[in-house]
Amino acid sequence: MERVKTGIPGLDEMLHGGFLPQTANLVEGAPGTGKTTLGMQFIYHGIIACEEPGIILTFEEFPQQYYRDASNFGWDFQQMEREDKLRVVMSSPEVSKADLEHVGGRIERLIREIGARRILVDSISHFERLSNSRTSFRELAFSFINALKREGLTIVLTREQPALLGERISPENGLAFLVDSYILLRYVEIESTMHKALIVLKMRGSDHDKGIRQFEITSRGIEVRAPFEGREGIMSGSPRRMMDSFVQAFVRR
Amino acid sequence: MEERTKRELDLTARLMSDMDPQLLEFLQTKINSFVKWDLVRFFHDNPHTADTLENIARYAGRSSEVVRHELKELVEDGVLEESQAGSMTIYSLTSDPHIRELLRRFIEASDDRQFRVKAIYHIVRGSRGNPRGARLKNHTNTDH
Repeated sequence: MERVKTGIPGLDEMLHGGFLPQTANLVEGAPGTGKTTLGMQFIYHGIIACEEPGIILTFEEFPQQYYRDASNFGWDFQQMEREDKLRVVMSSPEVSKADLEHVGGRIERLIREIGARRILVDSISHFERLSNSRTSFRELAFSFINALKREGLTIVLTREQPALLGERISPENGLAFLVDSYILLRYVEIESTMHKALIVLKMRGSDHDKGIRQFEITSRGIEVRAPFEGREGIMSGSPRRMMDSFVQAFVRR
Repeated sequence: MEERTKRELDLTARLMSDMDPQLLEFLQTKINSFVKWDLVRFFHDNPHTADTLENIARYAGRSSEVVRHELKELVEDGVLEESQAGSMTIYSLTSDPHIRELLRRFIEASDDRQFRVKAIYHIVRGSRGNPRGARLKNHTNTDH
């Protein structure tokens, strides 16, 4: 089956080759976990290695910030724009939604102008202010995602998670059900040091690695490493050694 | 005494006009307020931005009232474009390559302190005799 590679070492293996084409893929995490970096790397890899131009649609960060952040990894986004392989578009959710509903709108024109195949939407959380209920958010997101799929794009959507550690505190608004894959990025505290964990929670239409992997943001972007071994409760943010749990459960009775 | 002051003013005007004539014209006819300067810098740095008046004002850290007329005039002068998305009016940078190139040169020149001093002089001076510049006194910002 054809796959859309992210170019992130380790993640493509977890996804059994990459995302499926023309799917919506949600990346959720707390501030600083690397959601935007993951999305930028997906766009960069498409341009550099797959001849797939891309669009970054931002609702809050200025494009300037993306140019700067990308250059820290050695990715020259401004040059890519000059070569008509990339567009970093800043707009608001309400304008983007109205624009995509309109035939021949600005985003549609940009997609066709550069032949875009990939898009990063950073972040879908901003759509929440357009809706006053879970139902209307779900309808809004459904229509927005479908408009992007209609244009033949493979989509990475980021979603902000305010909880730094432990259980998520924002209620699920239905987005996880709409998307085709769901990747969660978490902070994990192990022996007074913060680590980062990645898990693929869902991948519609394909098998995937169910393990919880460590990852790091290096000077080359994200690198997904080995699974956490010998520990449990990773996604709680405060894992325990499995041996400790065993002792607690069976020995100290 | 009056003659001497006049001569000094003429000399200042000549010194301040010592810049690329195309940039001087661009400055005098299109970027004739500090708010416009901020706006065109924003669109230059973020060239694929397309948004409503309210959101652009927010991005620029200004109020909608301050930005409204400046955006309209930049559209009239061909620096920005206006389009519709549903019922919303959207502003974006012009696709005219000539204006984009002038803007690029203007922003790059603005990195030079001497050019900035001259540009500020023309904006302040232009605001006195120009009905469009009359609003300048209400929101002067020389932090350029």
